[in-house]
Amino acid sequence: MNGPDVVWYLAVAAFLFCTGALGVLIRRSPLIVLLSLEIMLNGANLALIAFARQQGHEDGQIFALAVMAVAASEVVVGLGLIVAMARRRLDLDVDKLRTLRG
Amino acid sequence: MIPAAWICLFAPLGAAIAITLAGNRLSRRAAGYLATTSVLVSFVAAVVSFAFLLGDPPDNREHYSTLWHWLTAGPYQFDLRILVDPLSTFMMLIVAGVGFLIVWYSIGYMDGDDEERRYFAYMALFVFSMLLLVQGGNLLMLLAGWGLVGLSSYLLIGFWHERPTAIAAAKKAFVMNAIGDATMALALFILIQRDGTLNFEVVFSRTGSLGTWAANLVALGLLGGAVAKSAQLPLQTWLPDAMEGPTPVSALIHAATMVTAGVYLIVRTNALFEAAPHVQELAAGLGAATLLMAGLIALVQTDIKRVIAYSTMSQIGYMFLAAGLGAYADAMFHLMTHAFFKALLFMAAGIVIHALADEQDLRKMGGLRQYLPKTYWAFLVGALALTGIPPFSGFFSKDSLLAPALAHGWYGQLLWVAGMVGVFLTGLYTFRMLFLAFWGEPSPFVQEHFHALKRDVVGVSLAVPVGVLTVLAAFAGWIQVYNFWTPISNWLDPVAPPLVTASGLQEAATSVIAVALALTGIGVAWWIYAARRGEAPRTLPLLQHKFYFDELYDALFYRPAVFLATGLYRWVERPLVFGSLRELAAAVRELGFETRSIQTGLVRTYVLAIAASLAVITIVFVVVR
Amino acid sequence: MILAADAGNVLVWVVWFVAACACLGSGIAVISFSNPFFSALSLIGNLASLAALYLLLSAEFVAAAQVLVYAGAVMVMFLFVIAYLGGRADAPWAGGPSWQAFAAGAASGALLVEVLVVISLKSSGRLTHEANIDSSFGSPARIGRLFLTDHLLAFEITSIVLLVAAVGGVILGSHSRNPSVDR
Repeated sequence: MNGPDVVWYLAVAAFLFCTGALGVLIRRSPLIVLLSLEIMLNGANLALIAFARQQGHEDGQIFALAVMAVAASEVVVGLGLIVAMARRRLDLDVDKLRTLRG
Repeated sequence: MIPAAWICLFAPLGAAIAITLAGNRLSRRAAGYLATTSVLVSFVAAVVSFAFLLGDPPDNREHYSTLWHWLTAGPYQFDLRILVDPLSTFMMLIVAGVGFLIVWYSIGYMDGDDEERRYFAYMALFVFSMLLLVQGGNLLMLLAGWGLVGLSSYLLIGFWHERPTAIAAAKKAFVMNAIGDATMALALFILIQRDGTLNFEVVFSRTGSLGTWAANLVALGLLGGAVAKSAQLPLQTWLPDAMEGPTPVSALIHAATMVTAGVYLIVRTNALFEAAPHVQELAAGLGAATLLMAGLIALVQTDIKRVIAYSTMSQIGYMFLAAGLGAYADAMFHLMTHAFFKALLFMAAGIVIHALADEQDLRKMGGLRQYLPKTYWAFLVGALALTGIPPFSGFFSKDSLLAPALAHGWYGQLLWVAGMVGVFLTGLYTFRMLFLAFWGEPSPFVQEHFHALKRDVVGVSLAVPVGVLTVLAAFAGWIQVYNFWTPISNWLDPVAPPLVTASGLQEAATSVIAVALALTGIGVAWWIYAARRGEAPRTLPLLQHKFYFDELYDALFYRPAVFLATGLYRWVERPLVFGSLRELAAAVRELGFETRSIQTGLVRTYVLAIAASLAVITIVFVVVR
Repeated sequence: MILAADAGNVLVWVVWFVAACACLGSGIAVISFSNPFFSALSLIGNLASLAALYLLLSAEFVAAAQVLVYAGAVMVMFLFVIAYLGGRADAPWAGGPSWQAFAAGAASGALLVEVLVVISLKSSGRLTHEANIDSSFGSPARIGRLFLTDHLLAFEITSIVLLVAAVGGVILGSHSRNPSVDR
């Protein structure tokens, strides 16, 4: 095949994953956190697709489609939570939710 | 004979247990009857043992009976065994007989008290303990009985536990007895180490194997126990305080039986004492010193029971004197007569106290002769017996006791002089007490507070034992008359052969001088207290403070102990023990505090933890493969 | 380094490079913007560039689904919510204990380094050989057949997950019976 090796795609996927992780760790707004989570999921998806191409099997692509469906569901629930929080006039700040503080 | 001996031992224990377990289901009077009956059973059993023993030839009168092997540890074995021999049956009869009379008397005396059941349970326990002591077949049983009588004494002295003085007196008695127990235990340790057993027949026959040091130590240890139990110098301070207990308790424990246990010990272990002659002479010396000191203190006492208590101390001094010089049978004879007339005196005093609504101060009494005539006669008989006037019992026993001292050399003669002075003092203080209480015009207090005793069960139970004891105190002395008729000496000879015997001349001289001195003492007492023709000399503070023994012991033992205790508390217990616990608790709390800071409550921190752990784990997997 | 410079190759490489850079750049943009609206738009860019990468990897159906479902539906929902909430701004690297930001960077960096090390050095050449594929690789027909034969269970369960999410979304979004208490 022509073009970059699978390894390059995997590198991009790793980068995406770590970027998403960083975003989850440093942002305070739950909306941005959800977006960062999406990035992480997409990184994983890219890795899956790359491996599917490398193996010659479409299993990876099937898995990626399932991941996409689950990501969509999760976004639904997450956004529903955020809307509920906003409705109760809570601060949309992850740091403010600390009743579990010991 | 053997079953009778076991019944004699265990009947009072059975009563004590039954009264304890029955609790409120038993009426108070019934508890009294139960206790009295059990001691009567004991007495009957003792008589049966005695009768059987009489049937044995004199050289075969030693019967041991083992119930079971109590302790076995390697080569050492200690059994629960009793001994039926002349000496033990002698004591069994006295303990059970006098005990029966006194427990019967208690039914009337303690009538109306809220805790009568507890009293009778304790009395039954005491009789059992004393019987165990005298019937014990080895030194361990003797020690067990020794400790138990100490316990019963503590329980009964502090019977009226609402009174702080009673509690303090009980503690004092117990602590001083414990000192004696400790020295005795040490002596027994030496014996176990040397002989490997505590059985009488082994220990008494192998005294030769003890070196001088060991023999002296053993005898000293036993003497320590005897001195503590019998309230002799230097452990005598507990006996006057023990008068806080009810009068029957004073009669039974602190006159007739427990305090004589020391004398019994010396007579029983005479082989061990004879192996340490200096210690034996020390015992005699202590007895003589005690009898003088107690006699002097009794002259200034104002409480009727305390006069009798010091009198007890003094008379036991006489018994120690005799036993210390080797006149064992004479000491036991005096023990018997003393049990009779001392118990009689206490019980008569008890009737007086009851009639005067628990007043015990002699200064408030007077003229009771008119109010309590029969009690007066009983008291008079007891006083005459105590002083040693013929033909009453004390005359025979006391003189036969002092006479052998003359035969012992210069030391014995010195003690004889002390004993004679004691006779004078005895006459003086005894009749001082009698004249103050019974003679003269009835005092205002008596006129106001006297109430006669009822004629019912209470009255009978108070009167009959006193009557029986009066007869005994009067006539029991006739059982041994000098060297003419000596059943007691003959009876006890196989067990405790005497070391000294007085000649006829010594006996006669002793008797005459003693009676003369006694009559002089009575005369002086009459002069001062009855006829009021003389002034009583001013009392020395030395006598008032009982020779300052209490103060001495307080400074010597009590203060340092308290000082040490408070010091330890302040410098060791509080900082170290409490402090370490407190520090431990604080440290744990601090640790919890620190750990708490992990729970920040921030979601981001938790996610970070997950991410970081993931990074670390990945490295591990990559490296390890 | 595998830099075969054939003529057809060059195009592939260029496309790959552009798509990769767009991917990475938009990823960083998502986490860097303080305004959530811009973050969401960056994410849409990210998804688009990912679709391009999928095409390069012969995953046509997935690329299509990505654009339609992800970029088309999910992101639109995101934008709806952001619009509803007013898009409050919040600066990155802010808030929390001071050590947290540093540790976050360290952890992510460590992860990245580790994965790169693994896929390049440790894989010892196992990742370099690509399989030969035919032209219908990644086509809807192939995907569809696999979904309905080998991976039927996954298909069904995914449907149920979507159903549950839908129900959950309705419940979360509905007004409660009692009026909510003002905090």
